[in-house]
Amino acid sequence: MIEYRGLVKRFGAKTILNGLNLRIEEGEIVFVLGTSGTGKSVLLKNTVGLFRPDAGEIWIQGREVSKLSEHDYLEVRKVCGMVFQHPALFDSMTVYENVAFGLRRFEELSESEIADRVKESLARVHLKGIEDKKPPQISYGMQKRVSLARTVALNPRILLFDEPTTGLDPVTTRAVNHLIFELSRKMKTTSIVVSHDMECALEIADRIVLLDKGSIVTQGTPSEIKKSEIPLVRGFLEEVLA
Amino acid sequence: MSRIFFIFDEIGGALLFLKEILGGLVRRPCRWKDVVDQTWSVTLQSLPTTAMAGFFVGAIMAVQFTLQLRDFGALGYLGGLATSGTIREIGPLLIAFMLSGKVGAFTSAELGTMKVTEQIDAIRCLGADPFQEIIQPRFLGIIISSSLLLGLGLLMSIGGGMFLGGIFAGVTSEEYLRHIPTILAWPSVVLGFFKCLLFALILATICTYKGYMTIGGARGVGRSVVETAVSTMVAIVVMDWVASFLAEIVFTLVRETL
Repeated sequence: MIEYRGLVKRFGAKTILNGLNLRIEEGEIVFVLGTSGTGKSVLLKNTVGLFRPDAGEIWIQGREVSKLSEHDYLEVRKVCGMVFQHPALFDSMTVYENVAFGLRRFEELSESEIADRVKESLARVHLKGIEDKKPPQISYGMQKRVSLARTVALNPRILLFDEPTTGLDPVTTRAVNHLIFELSRKMKTTSIVVSHDMECALEIADRIVLLDKGSIVTQGTPSEIKKSEIPLVRGFLEEVLA
Repeated sequence: MSRIFFIFDEIGGALLFLKEILGGLVRRPCRWKDVVDQTWSVTLQSLPTTAMAGFFVGAIMAVQFTLQLRDFGALGYLGGLATSGTIREIGPLLIAFMLSGKVGAFTSAELGTMKVTEQIDAIRCLGADPFQEIIQPRFLGIIISSSLLLGLGLLMSIGGGMFLGGIFAGVTSEEYLRHIPTILAWPSVVLGFFKCLLFALILATICTYKGYMTIGGARGVGRSVVETAVSTMVAIVVMDWVASFLAEIVFTLVRETL
């Protein structure tokens, strides 16, 4: 379970998150939609402690985490994996080393156990035989999937996706969206997906949250969202319904 | 006025960043293997250029001093004077400029790209400390490597001076080398190598700081690289003057005491 209580985040004079309140139940897949600059990515980065809120609280699995030290936050990051907008793979390392990176730091495993986990994680995202390649040697879509494998290798209880399909072609976009759904259900994780993709949200989300200017405009199940008369929601829906 | 505040803000930021690196080296030092890898990579990357730059710096000094000394019939002192001037002042400065363009720009661009493509955020999310993983090894690697390269550049400058001294002034190698020990006093050598270390520290701090603080995509990376090159050169010139000035005071005090 994740809960945001009165979350405020400012950058200089600009308020990005404006007293946001949101509760996400265990096992839920929640899509957070909104136009650019409404604070969607900032919300995720506050969750994993990359940013710290100026006010408000973040509760993760019954623990208030927003004021934890960088060291104590490691425990949160172990259960809360994040997939970034960019693949964010380390160019100097092979795919194997990239996926093993978190395992070597978070868990005390032997090299053979690490090798098994890497193989298993790559299989989860339908990749095999690319362990020795370096990120620039594989396609962008594959890099995104390796990035996903690197995150799921740690078996997190919460998965955060920051615009996971940005820059992908429609076919790969569908494949990645399907993968998000499949992984979330198979691993029984709580997932928050930040996206612009209403079509995908209607298809796989348990709940859709619409953000504007750092606050929630509306939220509901896909069928509730479809019936919404709010102009911003209709704007997102028009493209899908067309 | 805001420009002046910005400069002081940047100096303060870089000093705090240096404090964070040094504190991190005590609390959570990086793996020596990473430092060795970085040192090796930086050294290999810049060795030929630094050697060549050093050689020609020595050659330029030899030509300049030849023009001055020829009228006085004092070409025998060419080696001593050219080497002293090179090692104490112009050598470290010019070679450091070269390294700031090569090593500094490369490191800043590399770290900047890691920042804007969220690799540094990913490091934090995967349970690691970016300072320990990527900043400390680069910082130490640049300091070790740049000190060695500057030292090598200075040795090459003696070779360059000797070579050009032979061609341009007709001074033989023996003659060129003979007066080096008499004119090149130990304070010049100490100061020259102290400057190498100081410039390496400045270079390592500024390029890692600028790279790590990059924001704003490809444009941001470009801006960081330019700012690294400019800030490093300005900082090196200013610190060259400060080091020379302070060294003069220290050496005078030492001489008076002795």
